[in-house]
This record gives sequence, C-alpha cells and structure tokens, in this order.
Amino acid sequence: MKSDSTLRLALAVLLLSLQTACKDAADSAADLTEPKRYVHSLDGVPASLDPAQAGTRYAKFLVLNLYDTLYRYRYLARPYELAPNLAAAMPELSKDGLTLTIRLKRGVHFIDDPAFADGKGREVTAQDVIYSLQRHFDPATRSQGAWLWQGRIEGLDAWKDQGSNYEQPVSGLRALDRHTLEIRLTQPYPQFVHTLAQGFAGVVPREAVTAYGLELGRRAVGSGPFRLQSIDSARARLVRNERFRQETFDLALEGFDPERDQGLGLTALDGRSSPFIDELEVEFIPEDAARWSSFYSGLTQFTKVPVAQFGQVLESTAPPTLKPELQERFQLQAAPELGFVYTSFNMADPEIGYSEDPQRNARNRALRCAIVKGFDWTQRNQRFFGGIGEVFPGVIPPRLPEYDPEQDRGSTEADPAAARALLAAADWDAGNLPVLEYGFPASVTERQLFEQFRGFMEAIGYPRAKIQPLSYASFGDYYRAYSQGQVMLITSAWTMDYPDAENTVQLFYGPHRAPGANAASFDDPQFNTAFSAAATLPPSPQRTELYRAANQRVIDECAAITGLVRRLVLLWDRQVILQPDWAFVGGYAMRFVDLRDPAGQR
Amino acid sequence: MSPEWLRILWRSPGGRTGCLLIFLLGLLASFTSMGWLGQGWSAGSDISWGEVSASHWFGTNRLGQDIFDRALVATATAFRVGLLVTLGAIAIGACLGGLAGWRHDRWPDHCVMWLAGVLDSVPVFLLAAALAFAFGGGEAAMYLAMILSFWTTTARLVRAEVMRLRGQDFVLAARAIGLPGQQILRRHLLPNTMHLLLVQASLTFVAAIKTEVILSFLGIGLDDGVSLGLMLAEATQDILAGHLGNFLAASGCLFLLLLGLNLAADALQDGVDMKQAPS
Amino acid sequence: MLGRFLALRSFYALSLLLGVTLLTFALMVWFGPDQTYELIGRNSTPEQIDELRAELGYDQPFWNRYGHWLVELASGDLGLSNRSGESVSTLLRRALPVTAALVLPGFLLGNLLGLAAGLWAAWRRGSLWDRLILGASVTGLSLSFLVIIIALQLLLCTPYGLNWFPARGWRMDSLGAYLLHVTVPTLALLLVTLGYNTRFYRAVAAEELQRDHVRTALAYGATPLSLLSGPVLRNCLVPVITRVLYSIPLVLVSGSLLLETYFGIPGIGRVTFDAISSGDQPVLLAVVTLTAALFVVVQLLAEFACRLADPRGRLP
Repeated sequence: MKSDSTLRLALAVLLLSLQTACKDAADSAADLTEPKRYVHSLDGVPASLDPAQAGTRYAKFLVLNLYDTLYRYRYLARPYELAPNLAAAMPELSKDGLTLTIRLKRGVHFIDDPAFADGKGREVTAQDVIYSLQRHFDPATRSQGAWLWQGRIEGLDAWKDQGSNYEQPVSGLRALDRHTLEIRLTQPYPQFVHTLAQGFAGVVPREAVTAYGLELGRRAVGSGPFRLQSIDSARARLVRNERFRQETFDLALEGFDPERDQGLGLTALDGRSSPFIDELEVEFIPEDAARWSSFYSGLTQFTKVPVAQFGQVLESTAPPTLKPELQERFQLQAAPELGFVYTSFNMADPEIGYSEDPQRNARNRALRCAIVKGFDWTQRNQRFFGGIGEVFPGVIPPRLPEYDPEQDRGSTEADPAAARALLAAADWDAGNLPVLEYGFPASVTERQLFEQFRGFMEAIGYPRAKIQPLSYASFGDYYRAYSQGQVMLITSAWTMDYPDAENTVQLFYGPHRAPGANAASFDDPQFNTAFSAAATLPPSPQRTELYRAANQRVIDECAAITGLVRRLVLLWDRQVILQPDWAFVGGYAMRFVDLRDPAGQR
Repeated sequence: MSPEWLRILWRSPGGRTGCLLIFLLGLLASFTSMGWLGQGWSAGSDISWGEVSASHWFGTNRLGQDIFDRALVATATAFRVGLLVTLGAIAIGACLGGLAGWRHDRWPDHCVMWLAGVLDSVPVFLLAAALAFAFGGGEAAMYLAMILSFWTTTARLVRAEVMRLRGQDFVLAARAIGLPGQQILRRHLLPNTMHLLLVQASLTFVAAIKTEVILSFLGIGLDDGVSLGLMLAEATQDILAGHLGNFLAASGCLFLLLLGLNLAADALQDGVDMKQAPS
Repeated sequence: MLGRFLALRSFYALSLLLGVTLLTFALMVWFGPDQTYELIGRNSTPEQIDELRAELGYDQPFWNRYGHWLVELASGDLGLSNRSGESVSTLLRRALPVTAALVLPGFLLGNLLGLAAGLWAAWRRGSLWDRLILGASVTGLSLSFLVIIIALQLLLCTPYGLNWFPARGWRMDSLGAYLLHVTVPTLALLLVTLGYNTRFYRAVAAEELQRDHVRTALAYGATPLSLLSGPVLRNCLVPVITRVLYSIPLVLVSGSLLLETYFGIPGIGRVTFDAISSGDQPVLLAVVTLTAALFVVVQLLAEFACRLADPRGRLP
C-alpha cells in the first residue's frame, strides 16, 4: 500500500513538472511582437479547398477567406444584405432582367505563387471570373456547384456539350474590357447575385488550375483576405494576405445595431482597414466532447456548443442566456440556423407514395398523414435540439418573408389518437400496414433519432417489427441509397444556400426529383406550376402567394414530416471582437475579427 | 467441454473466479435472450437522462431508456457475437491448420499459409471496415470480418502442433500399419490439439468482444439493437451532459465479461503447460 | 543455398503483396463505397452522376482498373486523393511521422516496462510479486481500449477532471507542446499494451529460467541480475525480436486508429479510416499496400534477426 501511494505521488510530480515545463516554454515564447492570432473551430473537416468543390459548410468557410467572390453578405445586416466584394458595385441589370453588367475593382492581385510565370500574382480580371464560372461546366473539375448556374447562363450548357473547350467563347459570358463583365441569362433569375456570393463563385486563376489540377484541393491561389499556410485533417493555418486591397470598415454600412451588438467591441473597428488579425487558425473538431474541452481550456476561441452540453452552459433556454460563471469569459449567441431538419417520404415508392391504383393512392396518403400526426416534434425538439429549436409547418421556415405566421400548425402537432383514427378510416391495421424502411448514416445520434421515431410509431399502433432501420456506413452510401429510391423515410437537414425561399421550396419541385434535392421525388402538378411561375419573379406579394400555395400542397399531400429550425448556441472568448454567423456571412466574418488590446486583459 | 477441462479450470482460484463470472453473466444473458430480463431496453420514457432510482438502477439515457436493461441486452449481444465468431474462427482455423500441418510443405500447406499471410497483412479494423462497407454495413459483415481475421492464428498454431505430432511415434506407428490419414487425423491428432483449441477459443472470444466494441463505436457494427460498443458511443454524448450511467454500466459489464474470459483462458493455459511439462 | 533462399523468399513476398492488393482492390474498391455520392453537388442530374463516375474511372471493368493501378504502383506513382486532391505521397509523408511520433513512446515504454515487470515476475515465480503482477496484467487485458481512452480523456483532459492536458489536437513545434499532446495517448497505449507485454515477457523468461544451464549457473552462485541481464535476456531475444517486429505494421495502422480518431490527430490511422469510409481509392490502396509491404519486410527482417541472435538456427 505504501508503494502505491509513493507511485501516485511520483506520477503526480511528474505530470505537474511536465505541465510547468510546457507553460514556461509557452510564456517565454510570448513577446510583444507576437502576431495577432485568432483560433476558430469548426465541427467538421473540409475535404477540398477548390472553390468548385466547396460544397460543405466547412470548405465554404475556408474558401471565402482564401478566394475573392464578386459579392458578399454584409457583416452585421439582418436580414442578410448583399454587398460588392471583388465587384466595384452592385450589378447593372438590363430592363428585361436578362443582362447583367458587373465592374471589377482595379488593382486586385492574386497572391504570389509559383503557378504564375514569374512567381508574382497578377491582377484579377474579368476573364478570371468567366474562367472560374466556366470550369464548373468542365467534367474534369468535378464541380459540386454547377447546379447553381445550370440552364441559367446563355450558351454555357452548350459549351459543355461541345467538350468544354476554353478557347471557345460562351455567348452569355463576355469580358467587355479587363475590368468589366457582361453576363446574359436565359431567363430572369432573381437569385443570381446570391450565387455570386457563394464559395463556388470563388475566382480562380487559370494558371493555378493548369499547374496543380486536382491538387488545387490542398492549395489555394486566390485573392482573398488570407493566404493558406498549411492544412491537414485537424487544422488549417491561414495568414493575412499582405496584398489584400485596403478597404475601410464602415460600421454603419455593415449594418451595426447598437442594441444587439452592444458590448461586443465592434465600434473599435470603425474606419480601420481589414483584415485585422495576422493569423487565422481553424481547428476541425467533429467530436463534441473534444470541441467543448478545447474551447473551455482556451485552446480555441470559438465553439458551437453541443446540444448535450446545453444544460451545463445555459442558465435558461427561453431566451437562451449564459450561466453567470461563464459570462465572465464568454459571449453567447443563440441564432436560428437558416435551414431545417425534416423527414420526407419516398413518394416514388408505391408502398407509401404514389400508386397507380387510385384507391391505394388515397390510402397511402392517409398512411403518410397518420405518420405525420404521430410524430411528436415537441419531444424531438426537447431531446435532440435542447428544446430551443423552432417547429414550423411545411417548407418555408420562419424569418423568410414568405413565412406565414397565420398558417395552420396542425401538421406539426402530435395527436396519436387522430393518427389511429386516420389509419382505421383508411382500413389500415397491424396486419396490412407496410414495412417502413427508415434510413440513416450510422452514428449514435442518427440511431437514437430512429429509435425515437420507432417509439412514436408504436404509439399510433404501428407494429414494432414493421419499422426497419437501414443503417449506412457512410453518408455517401446513404445518399446513394435514397437517391436510388431504396429508403422509404429519408431524414435529412437542408442548409440554405442563400436567403431566398426559392432555395427551400425547390426541395419538392418535381424536376428536382432524386438524385436531385427533391429526395421525396414529390411530383405534384399544382406545386410544380406554382413553383415555376414564381421562380422567375423577384420577391413580391405575388411571388409570396405562389410559394405559400406550393407550401400548402406539401402539407396537404403529407409528403414530409416537417420541420424544425435548429437554434445554434455559439460561444466565443470575450477577448475576441466578433459577431459570429452560422448562416450566409459565415467565413466572410473572419476578415472583421479582431482581438481586444492585450493591455486590457484581465 | 470435457469434464477434464472443467477440473483444470476449477483447480486454480483464478479459473474458479473466471468460471463463476462467465456463468453468472451467461445466465443473465440467456435470461435476457429468452425475454425474462431486460425488456425495457427499447421503450422510451418521459425522463431524458434520468437520475439513478429504484426503477432505473443506472438511470436512463437521452431517450429515457433504462440503462440497466440496455446493459443486460448488450451483454447478451456480446455473448452472441463472441460465440458466433469463436465457433466460426476456431472451426475454420482447426480445419485449415490441420490440413496444412498434415500436408506440410505441399500445395495445401502453401495455399493455406499464403491465404493466412494475406489476411494477416491487413489490420483487423481495416479489413472489418472494408467488409462492412462492402456489404453495406450490418451484423453479418461484422461476423465475417472477425472470422476472416481471427482464424489465422488458430490455423498457425494447429498447423505447428499437427506437424509436431505427425513426427511422433504413435502417429508414425499408425501410419506404418497403414491406417488411413483421415482416421489418424480424427483419432490421434484432433484430440491432442483439443487443449490448444480451447485456449484459442477463449482468447478469440475476448478478441471478438473487444473488436465489436470498437467497430460499433466507429459505426460499422450492429444494425439494430444494442451492444456494449453502442452504449459506449452513446456515453461520449452523455458524459457531456454530465451523466455517467451509460459509461459505467457498459464498461463495467465489459470489464467483468473480459476478466472472466481472461481468467479462464489463463487457467486453461496453465493446465496445458503443466500437462505438457513432463513430455 | 542462400541464393535459392532469397529467391524463394522474394517470390513469396511478391505473391503475398499481389494477394493483398487483389483482396483490397476487390473489397475496398470494387465492392467498397462509391465515392460518386460524396463528390456530387446538391441538385445533381443522372447525367452529371454518370459523368463523375466516368471521371473517377468507375465505368471501367474490374481487371482494367486493377491492372491500371498495378502499373501505376510499379512506376512509383501513388496518384491523387479523390477526396482532397492531395497527392498521396505528400499525404503519407505528412501523416506517417505524426503516427510514428504518437505511438513510439507508448510502444517503447510498453515494451520496456513489460520486459522489466515480466522478468521480475518470472524471477520471483510464485511469489506475492508474481501474483500481483499477473493479477494487474489480467486486469489490464480485460480493459477495452475504448474504455481506457474515454476514461483517461475524462480524467485528464476535461473540465470535469484535472484538465491538465489538451483534449485533442497535435503539435510538434516544440518539445513542450509535443509532450503535452503525447502524454495522454501514451498513457492509454501503455495501459492497453502493458498487460499483454508483461505476460508475454514473463512466459518467455520463465521458460528460459527453467533451462538446465541457467539452473546450473544459479547453483554455482551467479547473481540474479547478471543472469537476467546476461544469458537469459540474450536467449529471450528471438521471441522478443519477433514480437516487436511483427507488431510494427499493426501498431502503425490499427493501433493508432482509435487514438487518432478520439484525439483528432492527423495520422495514418485516421487517414486510412477516412479513406475507407469515403471510398478514396488511391489513398486506401497506397496505405494497404504499404502496410502489407512493411509486413513482408518485417517478416524477412525477423527471420534474419533470429538467425543472427541464434547462430544454431538454420535456414528452413
């Protein structure tokens, strides 16, 4: 026993000395000339840094900092507002809404890179923008963003069909001079400028693509506010792009709200030239526990708080406030995500969706509506979203102008008795109910979501054995399975690409059916007519009417169990001057991050 | 299991403890499989992450399911996985190893050893992951992966043992009097490798359970139901919420089960050593 | 004699490599995850999917793809990762040192401590010490790696425990940073391997100590320490070398997978697992071939080492 305590003592001494040794090393390294470094954290790992493959939130976050886009979202303005970025001003639109003229800022340079003839970054020109859009339509690019412009730009799809030859001009994409660009659309596309603020629209020099090809996924040759220093699966290190254009930060113009942004220190930024930090480090931490521990112990300065942690972090949930002992160190933002989670039915499956037999078709609809009725959004919200998510009917989430607060919420309220009645009325019983196949990519949470769903279904009289899990080893496998119609109930989350209802309503547009975004393969004539009529319209009361009508069709046909807007709890260090945004500003916010004066510490 | 091996097991205190542990857990597992115990493992209740109470001995998880019941079912799953994999791996290992040893340095030997070499060159988890993805996940892929990875050790040991026995007098005599190979194999060689197979079986059992835990944690294990690995994976979330029930229950069951098996394996091994020592 | 031996050996090594690549190719590439759906965009049409499949070479027949890859491998070109576009050799050059630095301390300490404890227990066979050491190692054997990692992280790296070490990440820019990041993984590795190692070394040493020449030496008054560190250790060398060598390829890949996953360390285990789960064929094949090649080399080395350590041993 004695030796045991000796051992423990020795171990403790060893660990302690190790700790102090490290602290000393860290302290001695710190001197006054140390660069300003901000350490961000993301809950996922970006696969590729090529703007054409910036399909995930994580890739997009980095791409927006490494490359320039023509437009961006204003830092603080809500609702979101577009602002010129590489472009000198908002585009000039012709009367018919088909021709856009965009002028570029002069004197913007790519970073120095061996890909350029003399190793010096040359000026960004209109031709680069054209090239960057064109390459989405070159199969060798493996673009994930071509859908944004498919069928939208005159001659671009034909260019691809003719073999993607860059020597061949595209009629809809013309450089009027070195700094002026003309884009001709095939039909009015009110969301077009939004597409130019996506990571996909990052401007890439042709030299870099020629030099690096697919390896561009691990390099970055752009003109954004930061340069890439290193990246692996755990972190990316970015440093300030010294040659980034000098632009004065205008607090009022960026949408400063004195009440909302009070105490964040943003006023100190006014009139200065961004980016304000020298080094941006982004840690990729998908594991909830590790992300929280890293943040709590100061290794990172920003985190998305895991839902399981809400109880430990939040004092109250309505409205979300921080525990007093954490308030000293951290700032909190509990912002709704733009997008939602929902479960859609595979309408192409005759067991549950459309059937040739009109009688069965009607019974299937009753079955779907019963399942919707049996689904308890309140419990789902409590268990998996910390009780602070927002439940809404249909596919137009709150905070979009098209959202209808007066809409009947019946489709979101659980009523097992009504569900049972629906089943009985349509002659469904334990014997003849079809086997439900519920798919999910294997993970603890997804499995628990399934088990909860099975519980809901058991409560409306669905036999347990008739609710089968189909677990897929990877998300890609799951995606393939439901795209090929092998899954009856598809649970997914949609994150909006741009703040426009078109982006969510299109989820149920017939021509977008699987493998497109309409995983339900919902194909409703009334819906389709309303959607295509609205698609070319700019936001207007007329368009709102059309979208609301389309939304009602999804609810009436019970094509999906929907929906819930997640509310994210973001925390950041009080030393950091930041108003974070998980939606459209995203990576654009990093150029405006600053640290408080070290003298004022503690 | 022949009574002789039971006696060997029972002789040492470690063996006795191991036997008792396996027996007790096995009893609980079979009662659970028969539906007499642990039936609340799947039904949710209103209390998410409930505290320890008289009705929930280890509290409840996020969905309000009883953790104690889940631990029972997970233990039963561990037995199922362990038994199936052990039976498969030992049977294949014994047959192929015996064949290779008997036909030493001829083509069956070369083929078996080549196959074992190929499979051994791919780490277990990679092989299991590859199989799981190839078969679209699920339990069968997991069993297959483990059996494919685990049979080789047994085969190598059996091969060496058969080669040793083949050169011994009683086998040489049997061959000299013209006894057919099959009969020699059955009458002389298999009984003499029995001890080895038993030890290997208990070690394979341990390896199977450990591997299942890791595969399930990585998301390539069970399809439906609950296992110790799944509970541990859930526990990483629960710990964040400040609830240790899942972690304690799963790691406790896992530890006791593995301890029992390891102790039994040790006792068996000692018995074998002692038996072989004089010869 | 030696020439024939070498020729036979290299033939065997080659056939093994071929077998491994064929198995991997069939399992992980032909039946493995289809990367198309990881790489396509949100609103893809069936034509775009076909296009991407062609771009990835998925439309080619099995033997074409396998043959093509073998040719590439023979020319030393490992290709580019489908996922990130990074060249596979760069990826490996970056990940391998990380894994080596991660597992080496635990591996060395685990073997040294195991050796010490094993020798001690064997020397005092049957004593209280022996039983304590054996008991502790059985306990160690019965702990799952996953449980150890979760518990250690909880105790040492989170605000709920001591919070002395970072919960994740990897830095090697200074010795201090390295020690800070490597300590907890090393402890975990130690805990999980010490039991096995101790038992193994104890068994080997116990067998050696029973031999006649050792008994004779003891009878003539040789001191325990001189015996343990001298002849006993030397004679144990063969099984020890074999064991250490054989564990290298496995320790490098599977041993680090869990650690790397749990601690967010960008090493080879994680790279491989990601490649499997996303179907990143070039990375996957490179790693598996490398592991298999390492395995074959290790086998050869082990054989040579044994011959050197034990001059009586003859070629098979």
